[in-house]
Amino acid sequence: MIVANYVAAGCVFCIGLFAVVARRDLIKIVMGLSLMEASTYLLLVSMAYRRGATAPLLSNPPSGESQQDVVHGTVSDPVLQNFCLTAIVIGIAVTAVFLTLVVRVAQHYRSVDAADATALRG
Amino acid sequence: MTSDDRLSPGLRHEPHVRAGWHRPWLGGPLVLALGVIILIGLLALPRENAALPVIARHAMEIAIPVWGQAEVVSEIVYGSRGFDTFGETFLLLGAVVVVLTLSRPREPRSEYVGEASEGHAEQCRLDPDEPESSDERRARRAESGEESETRRVRMSIVVRVAVRTAVPLLAVASVYTAVWGYTPGGGFPAGAAVAGVVLLVYVALGHRAVRRVVRTTVVEPVELAGAAVIVALGVAGIVIHGSMFANVLPLAQPLTILAGGNAQLYSGAEMVEVATGLIIVIFSLLGMGRDWTIRDDDPGDDSTTPGQGT
Repeated sequence: MIVANYVAAGCVFCIGLFAVVARRDLIKIVMGLSLMEASTYLLLVSMAYRRGATAPLLSNPPSGESQQDVVHGTVSDPVLQNFCLTAIVIGIAVTAVFLTLVVRVAQHYRSVDAADATALRG
Repeated sequence: MTSDDRLSPGLRHEPHVRAGWHRPWLGGPLVLALGVIILIGLLALPRENAALPVIARHAMEIAIPVWGQAEVVSEIVYGSRGFDTFGETFLLLGAVVVVLTLSRPREPRSEYVGEASEGHAEQCRLDPDEPESSDERRARRAESGEESETRRVRMSIVVRVAVRTAVPLLAVASVYTAVWGYTPGGGFPAGAAVAGVVLLVYVALGHRAVRRVVRTTVVEPVELAGAAVIVALGVAGIVIHGSMFANVLPLAQPLTILAGGNAQLYSGAEMVEVATGLIIVIFSLLGMGRDWTIRDDDPGDDSTTPGQGT
């Protein structure tokens, strides 16, 4: 029933997207972006899952199995786990930049309401 | 009467007070429609009983013979997809530079063209014995007081003793994660843990305990040194094997500390890069606390710095 994870990831993504498009509070917009990032982690890890699989580790094969059995047997997808690591690091970088921007906007306009940030308005 | 006038004076300056919704009746259906499209796509994804993709099987097969690593995810991070990791590392470095740029405090008004330094030098040259005026003394006291207000002071002795005991263990465990893990382990989580150790020291023992280390002039060169090691590894792979990040170091026995050749060095450099990057970002954000623009209706608020916004 890994499809439940997929659906959960989709729902979390949509909740995050709704926060981004429908909230004016910049902190909540950044939280929405973080939710969207988190949904990708859930999706990637869920896609890497295989029923009855072991972790992609060749150091301690399960009892009765050799290293080659693990290599050719059922394991979780290591490439997608790597994608998840990449996504986490990029998520941290993006969140850090956005939070810094929000602090600067708050200090300049004395508000975190996107409607108050009018300097670029034509 | 504006909506601001209806708020109590205490609430009027709260940054969150008026941030509401922006056309939820439009955003809601649009997101819902996109959600349906996403759901259709998600239901077509491979399930838990699908065969492992060819690329994943290939990574399993070459992990030990080509890269000398028993931890396949590490082999992919620092080996097969080393160039991707390089890109992500420099994206993090770029983010750190952006945060540093955005969080930089405003220049003191007296130093826009260096006139205060020049004036001080001239004073020392022409009349070094002239005493400080009371105005100058008061201004300097206020300046140092304001700076000390923004600095974290240390916590109770119980917390300090506990942290002093825990920090060496946590620091060793953090480095162990990168160096030994499943040989090599993860530079990324290790870097995050090292940054956590530095933050723990700052919170428990105060700013004084970390001020010699946590300075841009110290941390930024270390971060760039980590980045330089990663670039050197990539270039060495191109020069020796014609492929970026190809392994150029001897492969030791798997599950020993030198297993994985390049990967151990890459992982260590990644740990330095992530730890210093996170330290710079967090302390930059902490240092932005007092840079508020002044408002016309601020009743003699001395905590704000006059001048225009960033």
